[in-house]
Amino acid sequence: MSDEKKDHKKEDFEPKIVGFLCNWCSYAGADLAGTSRIQYPPNVRIIRVMCSGSVDSMYILRALLEGADGVFVGGCHPGDCHYIDGNYKARRRMVLLENILGTLGLEKERVWLRWISASEGQKFADTMREMTESIRKLGPNPIAKHWNV
Amino acid sequence: MIKKVLKVKDNDVISSTNEFLKHLLASGKIQALLVPQSTPSKKVVYPVLITDQRKLHTDIFAPVLPVATATVISKITKVQPPSKPIGVVLRACQIRALIELVKLNQASLTNIVIIGVDCPGTFPINIYAEFPEKKTPTQFLLETMLKKSNDADQYLRSACKVCKDPVPTNADIVLGLFGADIEKELIIEAHSEIGKELLKDMTLEDEKEGKAREKAVKDTREEKDKKRAVFLKEKEGAKGIEKVAEFFDKCVNCHNCRQACPICYCKECLFDSAVFDAEAYKFVRRAENKGLFKLPSDALLFQLGRMNHMILSCVECGLCEQACPNAIPLMEVFIPAAENAQKEFTYHPGKDKTEKVPMIVYREDEFLEVGEK
Repeated sequence: MSDEKKDHKKEDFEPKIVGFLCNWCSYAGADLAGTSRIQYPPNVRIIRVMCSGSVDSMYILRALLEGADGVFVGGCHPGDCHYIDGNYKARRRMVLLENILGTLGLEKERVWLRWISASEGQKFADTMREMTESIRKLGPNPIAKHWNV
Repeated sequence: MIKKVLKVKDNDVISSTNEFLKHLLASGKIQALLVPQSTPSKKVVYPVLITDQRKLHTDIFAPVLPVATATVISKITKVQPPSKPIGVVLRACQIRALIELVKLNQASLTNIVIIGVDCPGTFPINIYAEFPEKKTPTQFLLETMLKKSNDADQYLRSACKVCKDPVPTNADIVLGLFGADIEKELIIEAHSEIGKELLKDMTLEDEKEGKAREKAVKDTREEKDKKRAVFLKEKEGAKGIEKVAEFFDKCVNCHNCRQACPICYCKECLFDSAVFDAEAYKFVRRAENKGLFKLPSDALLFQLGRMNHMILSCVECGLCEQACPNAIPLMEVFIPAAENAQKEFTYHPGKDKTEKVPMIVYREDEFLEVGEK
């Protein structure tokens, strides 16, 4: 994205969101949204992972440092993890990441963790709409302007 | 706990501790001692594993920490722990680091007898090696302690200035400086069965005044806590991507900090792996992303990623900062980060070896707001 494009007004700014979706719940939820023809903003770039518990903070940081405006992590509802406790561990990891981002004054609001089951196509679409609008309000990721990171 | 006093002969606390440790080794109850010992140049001390008491010329109070002693003990015990006890002389921060490594399955305490030493702080290696005062660094430090002056503060490593606890915990035996009249005596405490057993045959005297030690320990901890609180308040300001990027601008991605860190134990760090190797077109694509692309890449990702991986176990020894070739004051970021993160998980690294590290356990009913709207 060129500088020109980045400096445009907040209203017509289209956030780029990287979404890590767990294979068993959230990805299937996104799939259901698609097969049910539920409309949602195309701002999210989905990456399928086996479990939300496998999303190392490093992936999230990399996306943010490369200039993604938001990072979404989707996992099975607590208690429903295909691997028993991956989502509980994902939750702890998210708490740690948010804590560190908070200490450094980096915007933790750009990182979302949500539980979406395979049957919640509508919830997936709603969450994507909500996140896109929320990030649009936040504006472009300021890190995108820094090449020295 | 058993508390004894080691009489210091001829005002020489160093040779008296040497005698004490020689007796310990000669008793046959331990097969070896890991102690800090000066190299012939006297410019630095390294941990050495000693089996022959005649070779023991330790300076356990030498105010320098060139490498993480906890990492050295991991090296000794990881493949197979010793079959007979080995005594290891450690500062408080290194005991904490060792406990963390034990929890992370990277070291064993089987047949390891921890001999903790009160730590008034350490100097950077180069200051220790070319010490500007007329005395040796150890003499200088002990004298300032005796005079209760803060002359040594100017030389202390920044991590030591705001040390979270300079008094050893989880040690079998503690060699106490705080509260002792070190020209005449040293306080020796046994905190475990093996510690008591080892002290049994030593020529030590019972302590007369019981309260001096407790008071000195309390005072030392309070003083450090105060300095730490001031430090934490001062360093609160460096926030936002602008400041963070500027802070790490001098990071050349050498990974020395990771090498020096006692907690960073991974055999192959992700950042040294092939993960970051890519075809030329991918580099060009990343350049296109921002219009330009700094190389070597991912220095800030390394710093923040490493922080995410180790901060909950960070014992604040400051060896990362000491290892930095470009003198980035890492403690200014790592201490506040450690403080906040450890508070979030009510976790105290190095405190309890039976406690699990936070990232491998969970409760179903915790952090309920995370993951929900």
